[in-house]
Amino acid sequence: MRRLATIAAAVALIASVSVAVPAWASDAPLPPNKPDSTELINKMNVPGDVTKGLFWNGKTVTFHGEAIGEVMVRGDYAWIHLNDDAYMIKNVEEGAKLGGYNSGMAVWIPSAQTKTIDTYGDYQHEGSIVEIEGVFNGACKEHGGDMDIHATSLKVLREGHVVADPTPPWKAILAVVLAVAAGALYWAERKYRHIVAPNRGV
Amino acid sequence: MIVRPRKDDHLVIGKYTGKVIVGVGLLMVIPLLVSLGFGEWDTAIDFVISISACLVFGFGTQLFCRTEKDMNWSHGLVVAAGAWIWATALGALPHYLSGHAGSYLDTLFDVMSGYTTTGLYLLQDLDHVANGLNMWRHLLTYAGGQGIVVVALTFLFKGTAGAYKVYVGEGKDERLMPNVIQTARAIWLVSLTWLGVGTVALTATGIWLGQGPVRAFFHAMWVFMGAWSTGGFAPQSYNTLWFHSLTYEVICIVIMIAGSFNFALHWAMWSGDRKEIRKNVETISMFVTLTLTTMIATFWLAKANVYPDAMSLFRKVFYQIVSGHTTTGFSTVYARAFVTQWGTIGMVVTTIAMAIGASACSTGGGIKGIRMGIMSKAFLQDIRRMISPESALIAQKFHHIRDVWLDDGLVRSALTISIAYVTLYAVGTVIGVLYGYPIAEAAFEMVSAASNTGLSAGVTAPSMPDLLKITYFFGMWLGRLEFMSVFALFGYAWSIVRGK
Repeated sequence: MRRLATIAAAVALIASVSVAVPAWASDAPLPPNKPDSTELINKMNVPGDVTKGLFWNGKTVTFHGEAIGEVMVRGDYAWIHLNDDAYMIKNVEEGAKLGGYNSGMAVWIPSAQTKTIDTYGDYQHEGSIVEIEGVFNGACKEHGGDMDIHATSLKVLREGHVVADPTPPWKAILAVVLAVAAGALYWAERKYRHIVAPNRGV
Repeated sequence: MIVRPRKDDHLVIGKYTGKVIVGVGLLMVIPLLVSLGFGEWDTAIDFVISISACLVFGFGTQLFCRTEKDMNWSHGLVVAAGAWIWATALGALPHYLSGHAGSYLDTLFDVMSGYTTTGLYLLQDLDHVANGLNMWRHLLTYAGGQGIVVVALTFLFKGTAGAYKVYVGEGKDERLMPNVIQTARAIWLVSLTWLGVGTVALTATGIWLGQGPVRAFFHAMWVFMGAWSTGGFAPQSYNTLWFHSLTYEVICIVIMIAGSFNFALHWAMWSGDRKEIRKNVETISMFVTLTLTTMIATFWLAKANVYPDAMSLFRKVFYQIVSGHTTTGFSTVYARAFVTQWGTIGMVVTTIAMAIGASACSTGGGIKGIRMGIMSKAFLQDIRRMISPESALIAQKFHHIRDVWLDDGLVRSALTISIAYVTLYAVGTVIGVLYGYPIAEAAFEMVSAASNTGLSAGVTAPSMPDLLKITYFFGMWLGRLEFMSVFALFGYAWSIVRGK
């Protein structure tokens, strides 16, 4: 009996570690981008002087973020979007604290390289975290003045995963109570609608 | 003497407000179905709660406010303004229950922004929002563009003479058809036809651009709703920059301009009067102001050497200015790029385009083309008077569906509303400046809110002060309903307290 209990305890310990490690790994913070998307958008050579162009314009940057939405393949190249915001590791449905708007960069990259990205982020998925290296364009000549990065290399830092969004019981109870109340009021309104207050004119 | 409203007045206002809110609840069935289709169960429950809450309110008020009395003008105005507030409070439930909003105030802000077709938002982590909630965001703006009262008029009001009063209270006064309910249905006929054509065009383009068919379809429908209603919501945080496509932008520009036209103009074109688009004072006014603002912005940004070539320059400038002028709020630049790339002059020109805005009786906001046209004509008339002999009779007319003689009453009315808009813009700007924002950014943001545009220079954010959120909230509401209904609602509240 004692042996059985020991084995059960060992199995439970191994199982909990095997569950906990990936969870810990997926939640582990990544070092911030240098520069991050906010800096790429905002930083100027001379503050307030638009004629001087963006500081990072034309420079090679290394940038990582959550692949979001989808890949849009356009021939040999493709567009992906990488978000380096507060929801890069974990999104709101997984319990991330609200941390402002999304923020990220559009990336133009050889389409063959995007095949290593297995998941793009949306409501039901946390996208793969991808690191790219490429040239930042404050206003890209090839793409009608869009702000983008033309990437030459891509590395998946962390694979994406499916996100569950369970419904708390109080929501289900509230839904039933309100639906019943709405039905009852509809019935009562239909039954008593012909009994109206006397019209005393305008 | 202020007359205190009687029980009858409360009953009639309650009854019709209830009808509008039932309409809002029924509208939520569409996002509920989308949620179910995508297997977004938690979001689906959020919509069941929200629909039920709307129906409880709607049937409850109709049950307790039973009356056969029809609406008078003040009732219509109060119902229009009041229904928007209730529709906002209850329409915000799906946003709040999603967990993506920092506070209930933020959700109220977003829903008012949707109904008023503004497009500013405070929802966080938009890129991970459920399809059902995205459907609701865009449906809000699509229904709000036609007018949520028009929604209710179309489906829930039956042959009431008072319907016209509540329709006017929502900032619309064109009668396309002899009967106001037929007019509301005509507005829907035009809008739904455009929805079909626009969605097909954008879906095909989306697939060609590399989107999957399902995403291409939903993005197309939502982007259409954002463009046609001149709302400016988009399903991704990148707005329409997401698509990186000149073709997509051109289609959006066509829809934005069409959406900014007066429904009476649409109806004239629909009825075969193609010449109306060339003769109408609003299209002429918009053509002039759009050309001028585009030229000035292009000149400035060319001088500043922001964009690498003439094509990129024109593409960026024209898209943002059309978006601002039609009060849509779509953008293909990052919000802060208005500050860091466009600079003060670029922002001021965009602010002027937003302040002028779209056509009257359209889905757009702002001072409106017809008022700009009337004021310009009146100005020219005065100059002609000055240089003509005293005995000369100087008459001026303009064309809006039919030829209309310019009289002092029309000019005064156009000036009054224009001054009200400018005052609203100024008050909000001052509040922004008092919070420490640079004046160009504060003016850009307030004009964007009060003209129901939705372009942002980065001031609007979940972290901005609550008072500024409230200022923009009221700016959106006042701007959309063109003041009178909101003043009537305040007057009604005042008369309850102080009336005799």
